[in-house]
Order: sequence, then structure tokens, then C-alpha cells
Amino acid sequence: MDIIVLVKQVPDPEALVEIGASGKDLNIEPKFAVNLFDEFALEEALRIKEKHGGKVKALSLGGPKAMEALRTAIAMGADEAVLIEDDAYAARDGYSTALALFKALEKETFDIILTGRQAIDADRGEVPQMVSQMLGLPHVGVVVKLDISDGKAEAVSSLEGAKEVVEVALPAVFTAQKGLNEPRVPLITGVMKAMKVQIPKLTIEDLGLTKDMAAPENSKTQIVRYLPPKKRPAVQLIPGEAREAAAEAVRILVDIERVI
Amino acid sequence: MGKVLVFVETKGDEPRKASLELLCEAEKLAASGKFSVEAVCFGAMSDVLKGRLLSCVRRLVRFTDPELAAYSPEGYARALAGYAAETGARMIVAGATGIGRDFLPRVAVMLGTGMVSDVTGANWFDEPMTFVRPMFGGKVFAEVAFPASPVVVTARPNSFAMDIPEGVNGEYEEKAAGSLGGAIHTRVVRVEETKGDAVDLTEADLIVAGGRGLKAAENFKLIEDLAAAIGGTVGATRSVVDAKWRDQADQIGKSGKTVSPKLYIGAGISGAIHHIMGMDTSKVVLAVNRDPNAIIFNYANYGIVGDLFEVLPAMTEEIRKRKERG
Repeated sequence: MDIIVLVKQVPDPEALVEIGASGKDLNIEPKFAVNLFDEFALEEALRIKEKHGGKVKALSLGGPKAMEALRTAIAMGADEAVLIEDDAYAARDGYSTALALFKALEKETFDIILTGRQAIDADRGEVPQMVSQMLGLPHVGVVVKLDISDGKAEAVSSLEGAKEVVEVALPAVFTAQKGLNEPRVPLITGVMKAMKVQIPKLTIEDLGLTKDMAAPENSKTQIVRYLPPKKRPAVQLIPGEAREAAAEAVRILVDIERVI
Repeated sequence: MGKVLVFVETKGDEPRKASLELLCEAEKLAASGKFSVEAVCFGAMSDVLKGRLLSCVRRLVRFTDPELAAYSPEGYARALAGYAAETGARMIVAGATGIGRDFLPRVAVMLGTGMVSDVTGANWFDEPMTFVRPMFGGKVFAEVAFPASPVVVTARPNSFAMDIPEGVNGEYEEKAAGSLGGAIHTRVVRVEETKGDAVDLTEADLIVAGGRGLKAAENFKLIEDLAAAIGGTVGATRSVVDAKWRDQADQIGKSGKTVSPKLYIGAGISGAIHHIMGMDTSKVVLAVNRDPNAIIFNYANYGIVGDLFEVLPAMTEEIRKRKERG
């Protein structure tokens, strides 16, 4: 089983995200992590390899920092990694990101592509399905269990909370949901290996694309500006003993807010 | 006049709420005279359901292909994109439900366009159209312009007002997409767990959520009772799900679901950022916590500093009493 895992380096979930003075850029605290859902994908790829043999290759699109995500993948046990280095990655929309990944994947041979159901920075959840469509492959989304046998996969998909068992012939794409597994902590030997390994880089031009495709005027959608979340007014504490406060809370919700 | 296709999900005799909200919004577009709107449906269609839909949309098209009886990303995408291409649609919209978010990206690629996912606001009449969507779990919102065509959008449930239109009496047509058989490579073998009739958290109007402060799985009864009294849905924090007190499907937050109910009641929840990211677009938030410094109070409209083991049953009782009084 040759497996490719699409991995994204994202700001740590706890990182501060502030809107720049122009409103057109973000100041993000420089704390990074492998996208949470991609870790489940990586772990699952390693488990499939341990059971069925083959190799695991991690592929990322990002700036120079994304190398860290790929080193994490190697430290966990991936055999190979490749970075599509692109300083403009943050300006790319889902389509343009998917197109670059598709161009890289077109040159690869694989049985399975695994990736997270969503990246927790842009929160788009578009790229895996777009890549699948570009490759002409089926996908199963939001997977919480995956069994491989005889060139087929049986995946449990939890799209709407209900659990559907979906059968698909390989090659196919799967997007990992929390619950699929518990990602391993890299062993020190893995970390040592990851520090030494040379990770090859591709440029956007190597993929036969021009850098211009990330330019705002050429992209299908573009971020015009950033807006802060609506600020909630300061909390109004409801005083009194438990019963009294409870009754007052119900009165407010029913008579003032009219939500129940 | 630009044609708008609204993909409608149904369940029994009811349209999904996310779909109905979009139909109501789309009728406003139709009423402007700048757009013509069609609802597109793939599932079974009872007369009751048909009647409900035709009072909200001027034209309803149902595809009858047997391959569309069960959801498959490839089949749904092929049928919807095929119809969008055939009719020269200017825009394809769907609810940002599990299914909507799963197959609309394929539709976009088939039509050679991009998409904007999980929008919470829209300026349909701008040129190009612009949309607002949360990023970083709602820490910021992005205004996204959509110069490409057609425009493909999924909208977060509870983002558009459900103003049921009056005086609409739409026309109905059945069609077949044809040639879907060879296009579908996934097959649903069986369904392991159904959700039953419970409203999905992402579409719920009223949510009562519990955290570690409940102390034990069985104490979720207090949350369930209050939820039942107000007709709401139960949610949970990550730590509670990790402790196996509640199912993963109940989890609200970064690695769970994102909810935008009219009312969110959180009890025994400290307010870790992971959880806040999943509920901060709720309209009214009431937090119950013993600790006056609990972070959740920073994200609440109303707060009760008190013992949830006393406050929750008292609220449940008060609501029941009010209901009896009518």
C-alpha cells in the first residue's frame, strides 16, 4: 500500500490572531502545529503501512515553515516527504491550493491519499474533495474507521453524525475525522532521523504552474479584508440564590430575549 | 437574469432547516427580479414535502435517478453540476451541512470555478458578489469576493433568517440526470448508527451543553432534562467526550461541531478556547458555573455564578411550570 498524506502546517490553535491595521492582513502569533486532523491522517497511514507494508509519503504546500510539519511526519514514521514551497500559499484559495497539490499528485503512484477533513486555519474543508475530483478519484469524507483489504477499503463516514459504512475500490481519497485513532508521539529515534533527513522541495514552476495563479487577480475567490468577530456585550450576571437566579434566567430568556 | 440553484436536503416530509433558510433567502433574490431561483432535490418526495417546498420556491426540480436514492459525493456532484451547466446557472448554493460541505467542492471543480464555504453572510447584489465567512474557528472573519462564475456557496445553518415567503406557489418538474451509474465508485454497505430524529447540533435553535463540571456521565441527565424542557439539543465539551461521557457527535468546538443556535446554555464549562471556537456565533449565551472567573463568562450574555446541580433543575422546573400555565 503506497499512501500519500497531505499535511498542512497551521498556526497553533491557541495562537493569537489579530487583524492588521490595513484590515487586509493578519498578524498571527508565530506558534505552529501540524493541522490536528492531518495528524489523524498520518497516524492512520502509518497503521495501514504497518499492517499491509508499502510506504508513506507526506506532501505539503506551504512556506519554508511547513518543513517542520514534514519533519514531524518523518519523526512519526513516514518514509518520505516533499514540500511544495510557495511563499504565496496563504493567499491561495481552495481551488488554487487543490490545483497545485493535484499537479504534484499527478506524478505520483499511490493506492491511498489520506488527509484531514479540514485545516483549522482557513477552515474551508474544500481541498481534499477538489483534489479528488481533479484526479478523477472517489473520496470518503469525515472518516472515523478505515479497513483495507484486497484492493478495497471499507470506511466508516460520519458526515452527519450517523455512521455509514462505505465501500470503495482503491485508489481513493479519505479525509480523517477525530476518533479515527490516537496519533502517536514520535520516538526519539524518529526525531533524530527527521532532523537529519533531506526533504526535497518543489517550486510552483516545477509543477507546470505559474506563480501568478496565486495572484488575487487570477484566483477564483479572494479575501478582500478581515473583520473582527461580533463583540458580545459584557456579561450580565444574574444575582440571587440558585432557585431565584434560575427563575430570573428563565424569565429573561422567555420574556426579554424571546428565545424559548 | 442570473439563475440560482438551491440544493435542498430533505428528511421525511421536511426540508432540512439549512435548506429552508436558503430557500427563504433565495426567494428575496427572486423577488428582486435580478435572479431566478430553482430548488434542486434528489431524495424521495412526498406530497406533503412537495407542498411545503412549493410554497417557498417558484420552481422545484427533482432528479429521479435511482442512483441518487443514497448519498454519494460523485453522484450528487455529477447531477448538480450537470444541471448547473445545462441551465447556465450563475450561482449554486447549499447548506453547509455534512453533505453540502462534502460534495459542493466537487461541483465547483466540475464547473471550473472556485467556492466559498460555510458563509455566515452574503452581499448577493455586489459585483462581484462578496461573502463573509469565519476562519481560525471564528477568531476572525474574512470578506471574500467571488469574481469567478458560477458562484458556488455553502451557508452555515442558522445564518439566514427563516422568513417564510407568502403567496408563492411554485411549479414542479421531475428530471433524470442519466448516466450516473458509471460515475459512482463508493457504495454505502450499511448504516451503523442513525441519529434518529434528534435535531443535529449544527442546525439546532436551542442547545444545552455540559462540561467537566457535571462530574460524571450520569449527571448529564440534568442537561438532558433542561434540553427536553425547552425542546433543545444536548452538546458537550471535548474533555467530556474524551472521557466517554458523551458521544463524539455531541462535541462542540474546534475538533467537534460549530454551532450557531439562538440560545446556548453552557453549564459546568470552563470556556477553553477550543470550545469557544465552536459556539461563539451563538446569539444568546447563558453560562452557569461555580467559578466566577470561568472564561466562559467572557463569552456569555448572561451568567449565573452558582452550583449547576441546583441551578439546572430549578430552571427545568421553572420552564415546566411556565408551560403548564401556558
